[in-house]
Amino acid sequence: MVIQQDKMQSLATRMSQDEVKGRSPWADARKRFLRNKAAMTGLIILIGVALFALLGNQFAQWSNEDLDFTVMGQVATMGMPSLENGHYFGTDDLGRDLFARTVQGTQISLMVGIVGAAIAVIVGTLYGATAGYVGGRTDQIMMRAVDILMSIPYMFVLILLLVMFGRSIAMLFLGIGLISWLDMSRIVRGQTLSLKNREFIEAARATGVPSWKIIIRHIVPNLLGLVAVYATLLVPLMILTESFISFLGLGVQEPLTSWGALISEGAGTMNYGTLWQLAFPLFFFVITLFGFFFVGDGLRDALDPKDR
Amino acid sequence: MALLEIDDLSVRFATNDGEVQAVNQVNLSVEAGETLGIVGESGSGKSQLSFALMGLLARNGRASGNVRFDGQQILNAPPKVLNRIRAEKIAMIFQDPMTSLNPYMRVSDQMAEVLTLHKGMSKKQAVTEAVRMLDAVKIPDAKGRVRLYPHEFSGGMRQRVMIAMALLCRPQLLIADEPTTALDVTVQAQIMTLLADLQREFGMAMILITHDLGVVAGSCERVAVMYGGRIRETGPVGPLFAEPAHPYTQGLLHAIPRINQDGDELSAIPGSPPNMTQPPAGCAFEPRCPYRREGCDSQRPPLEVFAPGRARACFAPLPDVLARQQTVHLRDIAIGAEDPVQEEATPMAAIAGAGMAGTPSKVDE
Amino acid sequence: MFAYIMRRLAVAVPTLLLLIVFSFILMHLAPGGPFTQERELPPQVLANLNAKYGLDDPLWKQIISYIWGIVAHFDFGPSFVYPDRSVNELVAAGFPVTLTYGSLAFIAAVVMGVGLGVVAAIWHNSFLDYLAVGISIGAQVLPNFVMAPILVLIFTLWYGLLPGGGWSFSDPSFWIMPVIALGTSYMASIARITRSSMLEVLGSNHIRTARAKGMPEHRVIIRHALKPAMLPVISYLGPVFVSMITGSVVIDIYFSTGGIGKAFVDSALNRDYAVMMGVTILVGALTIVFNLVVDVLYAWIDPKIRY
Repeated sequence: MVIQQDKMQSLATRMSQDEVKGRSPWADARKRFLRNKAAMTGLIILIGVALFALLGNQFAQWSNEDLDFTVMGQVATMGMPSLENGHYFGTDDLGRDLFARTVQGTQISLMVGIVGAAIAVIVGTLYGATAGYVGGRTDQIMMRAVDILMSIPYMFVLILLLVMFGRSIAMLFLGIGLISWLDMSRIVRGQTLSLKNREFIEAARATGVPSWKIIIRHIVPNLLGLVAVYATLLVPLMILTESFISFLGLGVQEPLTSWGALISEGAGTMNYGTLWQLAFPLFFFVITLFGFFFVGDGLRDALDPKDR
Repeated sequence: MALLEIDDLSVRFATNDGEVQAVNQVNLSVEAGETLGIVGESGSGKSQLSFALMGLLARNGRASGNVRFDGQQILNAPPKVLNRIRAEKIAMIFQDPMTSLNPYMRVSDQMAEVLTLHKGMSKKQAVTEAVRMLDAVKIPDAKGRVRLYPHEFSGGMRQRVMIAMALLCRPQLLIADEPTTALDVTVQAQIMTLLADLQREFGMAMILITHDLGVVAGSCERVAVMYGGRIRETGPVGPLFAEPAHPYTQGLLHAIPRINQDGDELSAIPGSPPNMTQPPAGCAFEPRCPYRREGCDSQRPPLEVFAPGRARACFAPLPDVLARQQTVHLRDIAIGAEDPVQEEATPMAAIAGAGMAGTPSKVDE
Repeated sequence: MFAYIMRRLAVAVPTLLLLIVFSFILMHLAPGGPFTQERELPPQVLANLNAKYGLDDPLWKQIISYIWGIVAHFDFGPSFVYPDRSVNELVAAGFPVTLTYGSLAFIAAVVMGVGLGVVAAIWHNSFLDYLAVGISIGAQVLPNFVMAPILVLIFTLWYGLLPGGGWSFSDPSFWIMPVIALGTSYMASIARITRSSMLEVLGSNHIRTARAKGMPEHRVIIRHALKPAMLPVISYLGPVFVSMITGSVVIDIYFSTGGIGKAFVDSALNRDYAVMMGVTILVGALTIVFNLVVDVLYAWIDPKIRY
């Protein structure tokens, strides 16, 4: 699992070139994106998953917290997926409706992924743009700090934080978001350095626009393509991280749940013959990751068409 | 029999935006020891023509037609055949010496492998020979610098290394694809002089591909002018420059700034080159042509001989075209080999090609 | 080259110190942490801690004594939970296990990933290429915590071929599933990176020159294309290494292999901060050393990098 930095670099170069030609790369990109079958499939999958998360509860016949006493204790024989008793995806080990649980897990995982990516992108963009724009000593110190932070085993630190300060979703957001902005800030910095000497920035500076305003109004909008691609590819990484932590039992706590927690539960009980408990959450997890990757790759290929 | 005969050569690229017709039915020949210039704007197909000869087209490119070297068919020949010819009989130097040399290998290794491969020399012999060749292209302290990496040389020196590497096996034909485009103007003249000297010394034929008419005037015997993947005019360099018989050739010559020119304005050919994904049904130059007439946009003018050794592809009557042309003196634009005093004119002449990007290594799909 | 390594070390050492100080302060700030004395510690543990750091001393003294213990004696102090065990003992027990399956997974992922990527790039747009791309796209949504249950399901529960957990240094059948579970998604990423960088290199100008020299294609690839194509892969090795160590946590839990991941999670659940810190610092140090090796390797391949 990886965002390929060299490809991002190539995209960055490409986006700044298009700026010179004075013609928006977006119109061409939309055409290429719409023609890209994998990306369109990914988009449809994502829309489907989002609808599932938003509307799934309308169709659920059980709440995610209620225990179905008729299947309790004999989940392996009575709790399988069935349309008759309303457990479309079967029940979990305690007799809770897996459909409702999966809907809830989808909501939480998507939310963690999107919010985490948003934090990372916002922090990374602002940090990188500031370092690149201000330049000089500040830039050096800021980027050296990034170098140092990069060599910290962040997953261990995150777990350390979760254990020490309690397991809460807010902590999870903060932890995941705050450690994944590093790559973003590097790319944005590079891009900002090349934008900095453009005429329109110089014009703004000459007319006395304050630095922070130039960064927000002129630099950041020009990074949009790069940021869009990066964000799309970051969401699945965030989902992966959250699932990893929840798999270890250190993430989202009961009664809340997420894909990682559900996969962990399903994996723990699969030798009792309740394979559906693993299959359904895993299915949604896998197709969502695929969806984001295809859309992200498609977006990047659309903005930076190259044969590779 | 000519050394190299090109019959009906076409090059096509399959891209996502459709098929690009880079080269269309080109016929050319090169005699032993002769220098042929191929001139055209970027995108005219001149570089792809040379890549097709050597079998170096990008993956999505296809060449068709016939190319015979010394009587042997080499177009789309199997790799075994091609590899016996490349470097040994036909060598090539490229536009951008910065990226065309392997940046991760020492110059000595890059040069020596040509000789160990083709001549079966030992590594030591090969390096000695490489140093001798670097001396021949006038690289100072060749012995000391042969162990360096390409990035440790300046642009002009790198192109000299490129030339030395191409000449290691003493080829019969050298294809030089815009050898001076990426270089400083002062270095351009030195490289052209060097090439002319070496050509004479080794007695090889040369195809010089360039968009710089000054370079052609200085060093070629015959010229082919390409536009939109087709040859528009061919002929010996003197008459062609003195009396250009095709509107495009005229436009090119007219666009060269000259010292004795009145006024400040540079003249240019209006419009831009055609999109070769959807080639026009008629003459590709028609939209930019001052002589266009009825039929130009629907029919393609064939390449027709109109004087000994000269041919052109244009429907406009020859006298009309000749009547309007402004005379350009060959000696005003020649650079390099002919006369060292002329070097002062070099910067101006070089501007003719300025701003035209070179040839990408591959055509974007 | 030597000066370059020295300069990198000059950055690495403060980074590591920073990591130590940072985790120490975190531990101190943690609600219920031992140094705040809010939690009842077994008397024997308190005695150990007191002897080691002097819990009544000011914080800076405690930090210095902790750092000194690590730097001078490679001593991470006593456990906060088990009265008679030190952090060193708890971590050392699992380290050889993690090292064994970790390095196997790392090597397998690099070798197979690079192989797959090169094959895909050379036979671009062929069946082999599509197969390789298919495998690598499929495998990248199969992180270790998804691979592990699937492998156990197939090889243990359905076919009974491999033991579903446990560890033995003498019986490689215990190694197979941890290695596959840990390595698969990185193999996929490496294959993708290799393929795209190889494609890029094969389309570059200096490869055209090599072909124009009349070299057979396999020599062009081996002599001219492989080295530059490896550069992006090499810079990805650092992150792979870190993620694999992280992934070992899942492997240790799921397969009960008993590596350092187990020590970490156990201590996390027990709130044994001393062990958690010890593992974190150890992993941080390994990461820094590994990144240094990677950078040196990179500089060795790319002559344009000035040491």
